Amino acid sequence: MRSGGNAKPRLNNSELWGGLIGLALGGFVIWSGLKLKLGTINDPGSGYVLFYTGILMCVFATAIIVAAIAEGGPTLASRWENARWTKPALIIACLIAFSLALEPLGFLLSSIPLMLLLLRLIDPVRWSLAIPIAVLVPLGMWWVLKRLLLIQLPSGAFGIG
Amino acid sequence: MDTLANVAHGFGVALMPINLLYCFIGVFIGTLVGVLPGIGPISAMSLLLPVTLSGTPESGIIMMAGIYYGSMYGGSTTSILVNIPGEAASVVTCIDGHQMAKQGRAGPALGIAAFGSFIAGTFALVALMLVAPKLASIAIAFGPAEYFSLMVLGLVVLTFLTQGSMAKALLMACIGVVLGLVGLDSITAQPRLTFGRMELIDGIGLVPVVMGLFGVAEVLLNTEQVIRRDIINTKITHLLPNRADWQASAGPLTRGTMLGFLLGILPGGGAVISSFASYALEKRLSKTPERFGNGAIEGVAGPEAANNAAAGGAFIPLMTLGIPPNVVMALLLGAFVIHGLQPGPLLITQNPGLFWGIVASMYIGNVMLLVLNLPMIGMWVQLLKLPYNVLFPLIILFTILGVYCSSNNVFDVYVMIAFGVVGYFMRKLGYEPAPLVLAFVLGPMLENNLRKSLILSHGDLWTFVQRPISAACLALALALLIAPLLPALRKKRELVALDEEA
Repeated sequence: MRSGGNAKPRLNNSELWGGLIGLALGGFVIWSGLKLKLGTINDPGSGYVLFYTGILMCVFATAIIVAAIAEGGPTLASRWENARWTKPALIIACLIAFSLALEPLGFLLSSIPLMLLLLRLIDPVRWSLAIPIAVLVPLGMWWVLKRLLLIQLPSGAFGIG
Repeated sequence: MDTLANVAHGFGVALMPINLLYCFIGVFIGTLVGVLPGIGPISAMSLLLPVTLSGTPESGIIMMAGIYYGSMYGGSTTSILVNIPGEAASVVTCIDGHQMAKQGRAGPALGIAAFGSFIAGTFALVALMLVAPKLASIAIAFGPAEYFSLMVLGLVVLTFLTQGSMAKALLMACIGVVLGLVGLDSITAQPRLTFGRMELIDGIGLVPVVMGLFGVAEVLLNTEQVIRRDIINTKITHLLPNRADWQASAGPLTRGTMLGFLLGILPGGGAVISSFASYALEKRLSKTPERFGNGAIEGVAGPEAANNAAAGGAFIPLMTLGIPPNVVMALLLGAFVIHGLQPGPLLITQNPGLFWGIVASMYIGNVMLLVLNLPMIGMWVQLLKLPYNVLFPLIILFTILGVYCSSNNVFDVYVMIAFGVVGYFMRKLGYEPAPLVLAFVLGPMLENNLRKSLILSHGDLWTFVQRPISAACLALALALLIAPLLPALRKKRELVALDEEA
C-alpha cells in the first residue's frame, strides 16, 4: 500500500485526497450540527450528536492526512493500475443516463437500452443473445411486477409500462 | 420443559408450507450466492430485502436467515473446486480445500465441509435456543447507557477487524452515523440534513444504501478484472469422508464449532474472523503443521465448522439485545424493522412464534442444505460456468427493481446509484463500506440512547462509567482503539483483519 519511505508530500497522493475529503465532510457536519442547535449536556439538541460526530470525523481525517504526509501513499493513478477502468466508467455513465431517463421515459423504455448497453459493454455478449436478454428480461420483470405483484413501475411521458 | 414446548411451537411455525417454501428459497439463494464468486450474502440479502415485504415477518426473516447460513455452506464449494472464495468466510477453505481437490480428494473435502457445517450449525442452534432466552432476561435490566456503550463497542470491534487503516474505518463509521441521522429528529421532530427534499424527511433508506454499496459497487469492481476460473474438471466421487478423515477432523470440528460460536456472539466478530482463528488454532495444535497448505483435511473441517457456528451465534445479540453484531445482522434488523418489529429482550416473550419459528426453521434449513450441497453438487459445479458478462447486467437490473419496489419511489433508485458510485471509489481508495453500514443502522439508536442517558443522568457523563456493563464495554472499546498504536498489536490486527469484499 505504501510507496516507501518517501516523506515528501505529493499532491497526487490518494491517501491525502481521501483525508481531505473526510476533513471537508467533517467540517460540513460540524457546521450542520451548530445550525441545528446543540442544546445542553442535560438536554441535548438536534445537532448535538452531529456536532460531536463531525469533530470525530475531522480527527480521523486529520490522522489520515498526517499519515499520508509522513508515510506517503499510492498515487491516484496507481489505484487503477492493471485495472480495466474504462469498464466501470462506462457502467457509471450508463447508470447516470438511466437515472436521467427513468422518469421521463418510464421503466421499459429506459431499462431495455440500459441492459443492451451493459451486455455489450462489460465483456461483449454476441448480439443474437444480447438483444433477446435485453428485451425479454425487463419485459418479464415488468409483467411479473405489474400483473402478479400489482406494483406500478414508472411509465414515463409516453405512458408505456 | 418450557424450552421443549417452545421448540415444538417453533416447529409448528417453521413447518407451515409457506415458511418451508421461504426457507428453501433462502437456503437455495444462499448456496447460489455462496457458490458464485463476487456476490456475497450481503449483496443477496440487500437485493431480497424488499421481497420480505410481501409475506409475513416470519417468512421474510426465515428467508433472509437462510441466505446467510446458506452462503456459508455454498462458499466452500467454490473455494475447494475453483480456488476462489465464494464469500469472505471461505477464504481459508481455499488453502487446503483446493489442494485436496488437486490431489483428487475433492469429494471428501466437499463432504467434510458440508458435514462440518451441518454439525456446527446444529450445535449453534441448540446453544442459541438455550442462551438467548437467558440473555434476554438479563438484557431487560439494560438501560440506555449500557445500550449506548455496547453499540460503541460493536462499532469499534468492527473497525478494528476491518482491513486497512483503522482511522479510515472509524471515519466510515462516523459517516454512517451521520447518514443514519438524516431525516426528522425523533425527539424534537426537527428535519436534519434533508436539504429541503421531502424524500429525505423519513431518512435515507437502508435498502438503497446497502444495494448501492454492496450490489452496484461490487459489480463495478468486478468488471475491472477479467475473472478467471480454474475449475476442477474431474468427476467428483466419494463425498462421504472415510474413517481416517473423520478421525482427523473430529477435534478441529469440535474446536471450530466452540470457537466460532463464541466469536459469533461478540459484537463486530463473525464468520470471517472465526474461520481464520480456527485455521490458526488447528495449525498451532497440529503435530504436523507442515501438512497445512498441502491438503490437510483439518484445514477444511475447522474453519468450515467455525464459520457456520459463528453464523448461528451472531443471532444472539440481535435477538436478545436488538444490536446487530455485524453487517449481515444489521440487514436482518432492517427486515425486522420493515415489519414493525423491534428485536430485543422482549422479542422472545412478545413474539414467541417468530423467535422459535426462526430457530426451528434453521434446523430445517440445515437439513435442506446438506441435501442441496452433497447430492446436488454437480448442479453447483455447472453453475460456476455461468458467464459473468450476462450475470452482472442482470444484477444491476434486479438492484434497480429491488430498490424501486421497496419504496415505490424513483428517488431511492437515484440514491442507490449514487451510493454505488461512491462505494466503488471508496473501495478503490481503501475505505471499507461495512463500518459505514453498521453505523448507519446503529446511528439513530446510538443517538437516542446517548441523549436518553444524558437526560436521565442530568448531564452526568459518569453514568457511562458507574454502570459496570457500560464501563466494561467502553474500556474494551478504548483498549481496541489504542491497540493499533502498539506495533506488536498492530501486526496481530493486520493478520486477522477481514476483507469484506472477498
